Amino acid sequence: MTPPRRGRRLRNRLGLRARVTAAFAVGALALSCVMAGITYFAARQSILAERQATAQHQAFVNASLVERSLRSSRSDLTQLLESVDTLPGSRSVLHTGGQWYATSISVSERTLPLALRATVSGGSAATQRFVASGAPQFAVGVPLPSVKSQYFEVFSLAEVASTLRTLAAALGAAALVTVVGGAALGRWASRRTLRPLAGVTDAAVAIAEGGLGTRVDAGDDADLQALASAFNRMATNLQQRIEREARFTSDVSHELRSPLTTLSASVAVLQAHRDELEPRAQRALSLLDADLDRFRRMVDDLLEISRFDAGSAELALDDVDPVELVRHALAGASPAAGADVPVDVDPRAAALRLRVDKRRFERVVANLVDNAARYAGGVRRVLVLPGRPGGDGRVGSVRVVVEDNGPGIPPSERDRLFERFYRGELAGRRATGDGTGLGLSLVAEHVRLHGGSVWIEDAPGGGARFVVELPLDPEGSGRRAPSDGALGTTGPLAAVVRPPSPEPPRPRGTVAS
Amino acid sequence: MSHVLIIEDDERIRASMRLALEDEGYTVSDVESGEEALAALEGSTPDVVLIDLMLPGIDGFETCRRVRRTSTVPVIVVTARSDTHDVVAGLEAGADDYVTKPFVAKELAARIRALLRRARPDDESPSTFTFGDVAVERDAGVVTRAGEEVHCTRTEFRLLCELAENAGRVLSREHLLERVWGYDYFGDGRLVDVHVRRLRTKVEPDPAAPQFILTVRGMGYKLVV
Repeated sequence: MTPPRRGRRLRNRLGLRARVTAAFAVGALALSCVMAGITYFAARQSILAERQATAQHQAFVNASLVERSLRSSRSDLTQLLESVDTLPGSRSVLHTGGQWYATSISVSERTLPLALRATVSGGSAATQRFVASGAPQFAVGVPLPSVKSQYFEVFSLAEVASTLRTLAAALGAAALVTVVGGAALGRWASRRTLRPLAGVTDAAVAIAEGGLGTRVDAGDDADLQALASAFNRMATNLQQRIEREARFTSDVSHELRSPLTTLSASVAVLQAHRDELEPRAQRALSLLDADLDRFRRMVDDLLEISRFDAGSAELALDDVDPVELVRHALAGASPAAGADVPVDVDPRAAALRLRVDKRRFERVVANLVDNAARYAGGVRRVLVLPGRPGGDGRVGSVRVVVEDNGPGIPPSERDRLFERFYRGELAGRRATGDGTGLGLSLVAEHVRLHGGSVWIEDAPGGGARFVVELPLDPEGSGRRAPSDGALGTTGPLAAVVRPPSPEPPRPRGTVAS
Repeated sequence: MSHVLIIEDDERIRASMRLALEDEGYTVSDVESGEEALAALEGSTPDVVLIDLMLPGIDGFETCRRVRRTSTVPVIVVTARSDTHDVVAGLEAGADDYVTKPFVAKELAARIRALLRRARPDDESPSTFTFGDVAVERDAGVVTRAGEEVHCTRTEFRLLCELAENAGRVLSREHLLERVWGYDYFGDGRLVDVHVRRLRTKVEPDPAAPQFILTVRGMGYKLVV
């Protein structure tokens, strides 16, 4: 991996907001470093220059004083040096008559840099900064040619160094504060800049979840209006297209209903007069009747699907006893499929009250039973179980489990079974070709409308196990039926068909139906 | 022999429905528009009227409303659109029940039979009920309010009797659907809701704040005396 690509990867991983924040922080750091550097060096120059000027001035004053004293009398030189008015921290060194005199034992001719001594011996005044005994020093050397002497004064710059250190620390702290401030500013600015993007994201998510009527409000920001209007145009087009398709399906189904009504009524009349027909005609009538029934179911299913697609599917909720409802639904299923299937009821589920759309619930159970009868050798048993308890320990859902006698369904097929007209590997096992191809997808849609979920597991002892979990109260659980403009097809299926979760509680006692 | 009037603009549906209902033992007459139906109703009164909601000219809803203005004859609306709003609007217009196309002839016949049933008298219960200023005489089929007769459809009357006979008890929608409409478990609860609303406008002093026919959320309805 080459470095630039790694860099790009890092940038991508960081995300725009983190990157903007980092950029602001780095910018603030660079700026504050430059500012601090300039400030430090300017201050240092200025402080040193002033200190040195003062020192130099004093040294010259003292030198002339010493020169005068030397010229007038040869008194005690040490005393003379001590009497010189010195600044605190300054020490004097005098070289006269080949002898060195100093005011302090901390200085001597050896303290003085050789270069300075040489220059001053040469007859020129000079200054030099140096380090002695670990502290910065400033020495001024003044030749006193009239008395053949040289006067030196050594000033300690420790105080200046300490001031500069304090300054540097202050500047460093200020830089740090600036960096943090810069980062915070960057974070705020990026969040503020990206807030409209978050709005667009929310809207996109809402649309993906079926809220086709969702639009973005750009406010009065000219930069964002372009994005918002483009987004809204896209959403409107999408909505129109989906609604057009849904309307088409709905219209087709409706148009089919009139001829179906005629066919249905006419076939009923023929059936009533069946005995008057020849055996061949009777067989033809049976075929006609059977496929008319299938045709009718198909139109019903298509219409049902189109209502989901158009978002006009609504729940008509009733309070029911789930067990009674399951039994009624089984009774409503085709007799071959599930009329005398045992229903095992967990005692805890028997006491539950369920708020559901009865018609839809009945379709769910009937379609599952029908599916088992068509493709899996019939239903082995039906279970009614309480859902897993919620955080407060109360059961908030009920599970209806339909187990079949088939060979089971491989995991790779499980989710796809809920797709419309899905054939897949089941195609080869189609025992009777009179399904509508929409049964399981309608199961998923009905369940989703209730805010529940449906999935497939392996039944203990072989076969497939369809589990439908419904909240006891779709409205109470905070999940409402999608409002107008909601879409019930593509994306949401993923939310409905979920992978198997841990085994539900087993029934302790069972009641056969 | 009961007489059924079919109002349906699709000629083939009309003909096939006629055949099927005649097989079930009904006398059938049919018309193709609301206007014709209203004219026909002035001459004779059928026992049941079937109204297709999608009619040219005055539509099924309006036809239903106009029929109701002058008659308490049982009405079944026939809808191709089982969408919530059509069904409820049809019931609000005064229909007693509805069927969705494509229906099975037997199902339609069963609905008609249920509407023609008389209120099932319960031997133990009295034949007269009163609440507020409303009096219900079950056997005579008469409801009066402050002495004046209130015109109820047969279905409304059956519903009122069922509630009054069980005054003070909460009756579930299923129970009412079974007793009043003859539906099994999967009747449409909206039938009950719309009829209760309509009944309230006839017997409650303030239908928006009912005193007698109360809704028990999640359970059903009860009549309090």
